[in-house]
Amino acid sequence: MSLTLENFPPAVIPPHAEALRDEVKAFIAEQLEGVPPHVRARSWAGFDADFSRAMAARGWIGLTIPREYGGAGLDPFARFVLVEELLAAGAPVAAHWIGDRQSAPLLLHYGTEAQRRDILPRLCNGELFFCIGMSEPNSGSDLASVRTRAERVEGGWRLNGQKIWTTYAHKSHYMIALVRTSGTSEDRQSGLSQFLVDLSLPGVTVRPIMIGTGDTDFNEVFFEDVLLPEDALVGAEGNGWKQVNAELAFERSGPERIYSSLVLLDLWARLLGDSPDPADAARLGRLVSRLAPLREMSVAMTALLAKGESPITEAALFKDMGTEIEQQIPAEIADAVATRPELATDPELLRTLAYLMQLNHVFSLRGGTREILRGMIARGLGLR
Amino acid sequence: MNEVGNFLAEAFCRQLAGLVTPEAIRAVEDSASPGELWRTLDDSGFADALLPEAAGGAGLDLAQAFPLVLAAGEYCVPLPFAETMVARSMLAAHGADVPAGAAIVLAGPSAIIPCGRLAGYALVDRDGVPTLVAAGGSGSDLFRTGAATELDEGEVLATLPRDPDAVLLAAAAVSAALMAGAMARVLEMSLRYAGERQQFGRSLGKFQAIQQQLAVLAEQVLSTQVAARSAFTGSAFDPIRVAAAKCRANEAATQVCNIAHAIHGAIGVTAEFDLQLYTRRIKQWQLAFGSESYWGARLGQARIAAAAGTTADFLRRHLATGSE
Ligand SMILES: Cc1cc2nc3c(=O)[nH]c(=O)nc-3n(C[C@H](O)[C@H](O)[C@H](O)COP(=O)(O)OP(=O)(O)OC[C@H]3O[C@@H](n4cnc5c(N)ncnc54)[C@H](O)[C@@H]3O)c2cc1C
Repeated sequence: MSLTLENFPPAVIPPHAEALRDEVKAFIAEQLEGVPPHVRARSWAGFDADFSRAMAARGWIGLTIPREYGGAGLDPFARFVLVEELLAAGAPVAAHWIGDRQSAPLLLHYGTEAQRRDILPRLCNGELFFCIGMSEPNSGSDLASVRTRAERVEGGWRLNGQKIWTTYAHKSHYMIALVRTSGTSEDRQSGLSQFLVDLSLPGVTVRPIMIGTGDTDFNEVFFEDVLLPEDALVGAEGNGWKQVNAELAFERSGPERIYSSLVLLDLWARLLGDSPDPADAARLGRLVSRLAPLREMSVAMTALLAKGESPITEAALFKDMGTEIEQQIPAEIADAVATRPELATDPELLRTLAYLMQLNHVFSLRGGTREILRGMIARGLGLR
Repeated sequence: MNEVGNFLAEAFCRQLAGLVTPEAIRAVEDSASPGELWRTLDDSGFADALLPEAAGGAGLDLAQAFPLVLAAGEYCVPLPFAETMVARSMLAAHGADVPAGAAIVLAGPSAIIPCGRLAGYALVDRDGVPTLVAAGGSGSDLFRTGAATELDEGEVLATLPRDPDAVLLAAAAVSAALMAGAMARVLEMSLRYAGERQQFGRSLGKFQAIQQQLAVLAEQVLSTQVAARSAFTGSAFDPIRVAAAKCRANEAATQVCNIAHAIHGAIGVTAEFDLQLYTRRIKQWQLAFGSESYWGARLGQARIAAAAGTTADFLRRHLATGSE
């Protein structure tokens, strides 16, 4: 068996990273003053370009990117502290989230020197926002079947196809797209490559998709004979699958997989007052007991990332459990507030709760579904 | 960081592999007595690991001793080894004399005392004072594990400074860690069985439905292990850490046993098969020393008392590695 407690060695956030925390707390307190919980509950789905630029002004976008490329040159622990505070407070981080979390590390690792010099400083400045172009209408969980295709042409590449569910494509400057550069869908993982797609190029159409709640966070993105320059290719041609997988450890190991309902939990806890009903206290404590080992796991994976490792299976296990508790929190609080239907519920609590009740089911979809993650865990256990 | 503990745990595991065989476990269960096993275990010295070196121990702290407790759970040690190790250190910390070779159970408030019939002594709570007494367990052996529902207390051998929580915390922490260890073995056994057992012309582990169940099993086991590890921190058990660990272990227990037995089918419950040795004990510990609602309420109260910060602050300050 290759998935044991040893995969999560106990780790401590080092003092240099903890030193950042108070400053971040003070910044957030100032920035979010007066923002009500039901807005903060949007968590990392909350988009606010001004907030992201204020973060950039502090040097807090691209924290792990070397200084020569405009970053802060800090380690993954510092980033953990920063994002933990942002998420716990419900700061609107969406504008820079994807770029900071995965596009910047991707470009740093696989990009050309020219790409790094061109993109990273502006990403770190809060000038460029990124989105993830993986899913397509017929390629969801089965990502290797993507059909969007880039063909070599004189001086670059011609891109045709369609992406879907692209979060904040309509407000982003660039997409990192996974597309086919050779072979067909039957060739699966081979023949895929990643491209840096400037969304302002001719032939790119972004169409927002409205969801039932009235929100329009994600989009369809169409490519019609989009001419990409030679250096839009990220990494080696045909290496896309491997590169995408390297992103997954970043995408699935962070505190955003346990804290998406935290603003609600804390509002509810505050409203319980000093002498809560024992049943409510037990409900709260049971939720906390599930979060505690998950935070430990996230810190442990941060230590692994800091050592240059890529804990992909560990991250799948963590994300599957984390999103379950994120989904459970609104369900438990809904049960708690309606245990005594004759009592009035705080209106702000109700609003925050209703918002999350309508969205918590997607927490286990975005970033890879339960069944897919469990399949990865099963592979880690030697079953596949 | 924990090299001494891991080194000792490896030596301990080697010993347990030869000593605590399934036959030895069954012999203790069938005779409802510790037999020679306790003497051999005690002679090995591991039960003194938490004592200072000057007192013949290894001077381990709780974090270093955690792998030993986990190992006791993994090997299904049918005697109060981990309980004795912790009791001896609590007593030694206050200079109390402990009879040589004593097997001691931690008799915090509980409907059942695991290993209660298999120890000559108990650390009990007498009106808030942890007290070492000669004790024999009686009542029903509900899980056929040598647990007691009643303790017949005899001579008082030592008293510790008043601390109404101390025995319960130690008992719950040890139970959570033993559960975590037993669960790890249950996962291992389930994986092995899924690889061996064939139905419909394939091994069970090839079926996606079984793979998904095993993934959930691994999740529950690993989060319980991480939670238990967090409870073994510092020099004395902390109520918040213990609450989180026992609550997690108890919540996980039902699902872990259900999935493991589902994968094994009928054979898993048979006396001949080893799985039930583990799952009966997991269930016994689940019932002992406070449920998920009990510890959940205490943890929830602690969270509410820390009103100023976020839950993330609470986790970091009270439940993270290195925050003691
Ligand atoms: C809020 C949100 C934001 C998103 N943002 C982005 C984004 O920015 N960029 C992007 O590229 N994508 C994004 N996605 C898409 C997301 O990655 C996909 O929804 C996800 O990968 C699942 O794909 P699908 O929706 O096509 O579902 P399907 O793949 O069609 O799956 C449907 C169901 O079938 C199950 N299933 C599929 N295959 C198997 C199998 N082999 N065995 C067992 N069960 C299976 C799945 O687990 C799922 O339960 C977003 C999704 C959401 C909900």
